[in-house]
Amino acid sequence: MLSRRHILQQAGAGFGGMALQSLLGADGVLKNTNSMAPRAPHFAPKAKSVIFLFMYGGPSHVDLFDPKPALAKWHGRAIPVFKKEDAFMGSKTKNVAMQSCYKFAKHGQAGIDMADVYPNLARHADTMCVIRSMYAESNNHGPAIFQMNTGFMQAGRPSMGSWVTYGLGSESENLPAFVVLLDRQGAPVNGALNWSNGFMPATFQGVPFRSSGEPIAYLTPPKNVSRSQQRARLDLLKQWNTEFADANPAESSLAARINAYELAFKMQMSASECTDLSREPESVRQMYGLDNNVTSHFGKNCLLARRLVERGVRFVQVYSGGNEGPKAWDAHDDLKKNHDLHCAETDGPIAALLDDLKMSGMLDTTLVIWGGEFGRSPVAENGKGRDHHPKGFTMWMAGGGIKPGMTYGATDEFGYNAIENRVSVPDLHATILHQLGFDHERLTYSFDGRDYRLTNVSGDVVNALLA
Amino acid sequence: MMSVGRIVNCALSMRSGPFIMGCAFIVLLSGRCLAAVPSLEEGRKHWAFQPLTNVTPPQVKNASWVRNDIDRFILAKLDAAGLEPSPEADRATLIRRVSLDLIGLPPSPEEVIAFEQDRSAQAYERVVDRLLQSPTYGERWGRHWLDLARYADTGGFHNDLDRPYAWKYRDYVIQSFNEDKPYARFVAEQLAGDEVEGANDQSLIATGFCRNGPSNDDNMGKTREALEQYRADQMDDIISTTSNVFLGLTLGCARCHDHKTDPLLQRDYYSLFAIFNGTEKLGLGKGAKDINDKDVKDASKVMALVEKSAMVPTAHILLRGAAANKGDAVQPAVPVVLNAKSSMFSTSSDKTSLRRRTLAEWITSPTNALSWRVLANRVWQHHFGTGIVASPSNFGFTGAKPTHPELLDYLAHELITNGGQWKPLHKLIVMSATYRQARSEPHALRFNSLQRMEAEVLRDSILAASGKLNLIPGGPGIKPRIRAELLDASQRNKWPVLDKESPEQWRRSVYIYVKRQLLMPSMELFDAPTTTDSCPLRLQSTVPTQALVLMNDDFVEDQARYLSERATREMGDAVNKIVERLFIIVTSHFPGEARLRQALDFVKQRETQSDRTTALADLAHVLLNSSEFVYIK
Repeated sequence: MLSRRHILQQAGAGFGGMALQSLLGADGVLKNTNSMAPRAPHFAPKAKSVIFLFMYGGPSHVDLFDPKPALAKWHGRAIPVFKKEDAFMGSKTKNVAMQSCYKFAKHGQAGIDMADVYPNLARHADTMCVIRSMYAESNNHGPAIFQMNTGFMQAGRPSMGSWVTYGLGSESENLPAFVVLLDRQGAPVNGALNWSNGFMPATFQGVPFRSSGEPIAYLTPPKNVSRSQQRARLDLLKQWNTEFADANPAESSLAARINAYELAFKMQMSASECTDLSREPESVRQMYGLDNNVTSHFGKNCLLARRLVERGVRFVQVYSGGNEGPKAWDAHDDLKKNHDLHCAETDGPIAALLDDLKMSGMLDTTLVIWGGEFGRSPVAENGKGRDHHPKGFTMWMAGGGIKPGMTYGATDEFGYNAIENRVSVPDLHATILHQLGFDHERLTYSFDGRDYRLTNVSGDVVNALLA
Repeated sequence: MMSVGRIVNCALSMRSGPFIMGCAFIVLLSGRCLAAVPSLEEGRKHWAFQPLTNVTPPQVKNASWVRNDIDRFILAKLDAAGLEPSPEADRATLIRRVSLDLIGLPPSPEEVIAFEQDRSAQAYERVVDRLLQSPTYGERWGRHWLDLARYADTGGFHNDLDRPYAWKYRDYVIQSFNEDKPYARFVAEQLAGDEVEGANDQSLIATGFCRNGPSNDDNMGKTREALEQYRADQMDDIISTTSNVFLGLTLGCARCHDHKTDPLLQRDYYSLFAIFNGTEKLGLGKGAKDINDKDVKDASKVMALVEKSAMVPTAHILLRGAAANKGDAVQPAVPVVLNAKSSMFSTSSDKTSLRRRTLAEWITSPTNALSWRVLANRVWQHHFGTGIVASPSNFGFTGAKPTHPELLDYLAHELITNGGQWKPLHKLIVMSATYRQARSEPHALRFNSLQRMEAEVLRDSILAASGKLNLIPGGPGIKPRIRAELLDASQRNKWPVLDKESPEQWRRSVYIYVKRQLLMPSMELFDAPTTTDSCPLRLQSTVPTQALVLMNDDFVEDQARYLSERATREMGDAVNKIVERLFIIVTSHFPGEARLRQALDFVKQRETQSDRTTALADLAHVLLNSSEFVYIK
């Protein structure tokens, strides 16, 4: 019978798997020692880091990137593809087509369709790779966000950021490898489970950063403790902990613990330095919309995302939308009102982020992803809103070795079902991992007798999207 | 390397439906299976499924080291490997270790000193007996069980709904451990508390075991299809947890297809489904209903899983795990590889089908070697940090092999002989020479590696050191202070903002309200379970954010100050006495000369920057952060 260790040796033969292998102890359990040291993936990566702009609540594909003239033609009438059981809101959602409230135009040399509510982003049409044939498995926020973040629809699985840092380690010594930036409305549903390490060690957990105040939890000492006082404590602690580690050489976590304190001490400065956006030139601050009430929060987070990636952070997830309903992209009652607001909040900052990454050359190695947990239904809810809709929706990517200026896949004439070149969530995950240098089938973590993957039991890299 | 192994997909497509199982398996690129699915016949030969062997403890050369039979098994392996056991730990280390192990709290300085002075042959045994009788024992060992039972006070998911009566299950577990409830009864109450002899409110509360998993009851979709699928997902939580916890089997892998590495069939999974198929949820916040059982009072105030009729709907295999794809009908049964009589499920009472009770009785039957091995291994693992089988909830083909199979059988046999009570086994283990070894030269065959305190033990030990620990047991969960900025990570069922903590918050950590969307950072960062699945073994990770919490949390700052005040109060003005006192309180040891001098120099130096009180609090803070404190020798 094969041991799991042996299987991992087999599975990882000769590639980055061996790097993972070095993290495994005799019992095959991942050891914490140096678990954040940078590691080579399975093959040469295109991207070194990811910025995932998560439009929580479900942005409407038929109102932003996937124009459907048929909806105008069928406006107010039943469409043949509608199925009652697809509606999350039950009878509030009627089989009555609703035309888009926005005007579409083709942008860039590539002629990417975009609604007029994203005017600044439109400048980047030739950078973007728009996937119009996404589909997901749940029409309910909780499970759907879990699926987009972890590949599974139930709680307790490691988030994509955890998988990436598990695979690659961190290039930053002074910052966490996986950072989460929340909307001003707070966290999405599922809360911290969305950036959970699941069954992996806590090392791989997403760390929420705030763009104002204390950037990381417990980063600053209590009010009455001075820095010199803290340093004096840590000096004595280091001496004693070193003696203890020397006396117990077999326990490697004791040495790791000494390093952890030093890193924590350094992090107090480096994280504060990183989140101190006043260090950016005024022109940059303006570019991200920091001087404008509507764009300032998401703008700060986009700028912060760039600063984090610049400092070696692997995976940054920036949420637009928090809480639920109108505070997120969850436009049940009034689509126009909802999307006017959320597009206004994100349009300038995203455009600035792409400009900024391009100017610095970082876009080549940074994969930017835009999308929510699902799209919105082509039919009306409550007259002028739209219900959740996972059967066909749009996401886009840019940079990180993704083909620029293209549209991929298609939904049917109503934008209801993804019908051409369908891309599942595991396909998307496989593609993201591929850009980071991983064969998604070989990036595995053993728990409870199973070797888990981000892509669970499916997923194909969408080769057509690769530059 | 000739062949490159490769993880490939289950022969499953992603389908639209809210659940997809994840059981990757291994085949060679050539197509030959590395880990072929064992046949039932091969499965029946698997070591874990064999009857317990009637083992005789082996003869050993160095019989003088042996304190009880456990040591013979350990020593025989050490002999064979050419290794010696480690010498016995010093007395202060020993009492610290056994206290933290059995009750999760450090010994008081007086207990340490008394034990060091008591040179009688029974001194250690008296300590052990005292600890096993302490009500704090249940709070410690009950916590291990709560890990397995994926205990939490909220539902997780969208609204993270409060479970106002979940804590009754937590208290039931603690109480059961303190009573040393026989395992057979303990299992029966948790699986079939409504069906057991003498069912009462406590046994109903016990079925909370089946209800602890994450749920989305208020927001699971509105169509019939969605509701059926949701129910199947909730059943999966019960089936997976039950098979993991009691049988060490990963039967959850057989939800969508036959198990890929174990001789477990999809039919086995749905046979277990059939056992639970008559159950319904009772006492969920809203819509709580009465139960037709006179013995059960105040039924609306429990969170239970019960049957209300002996007529159980027929269960079907659900193809690919999808509720909409019904396959063959199945009868209640246990996995066929385990060779049980299927007829055992044929008796029912006039009230219920008795299927769950029958399952529980089968699990804990003295002839069910698998269950008792799994249990014996869990007990051993919590004493030593490592099990005899390293994969405590997976005794299947991909699980670890026992390092000491005879010892495992011996321990399982002891458990059965003791009527399924845990305390005699604890005593046997902690009285052994194996347990008493020093941990300076750890070796897997010695079972003497250092252990980091678990999250709860760490917080409780800090409170014990400061003298602020509030030992009031039971009741609804407490909500200690979390930095206000963190609280917006969860929108629902919000955690209160607290400026200052008081004795109300200084209760033992097992009583902390477990909010799935926002676990206490000091718990989560020190590897407390995420509660979404049964957790058989806690990781021991080391991350900078742990250091941040211990360095910067006001909790540690406050308690360090209380600790220094306590030492000053107890010792008067002499600073060297106060410093010595700090050491013995925090580490159970007096400082050596060099250490004492360093500490005194530190206090003197810090005093020049502030004052004596602050300087001593600085020292206390260092001690509470020290590896000497956080690691159990």
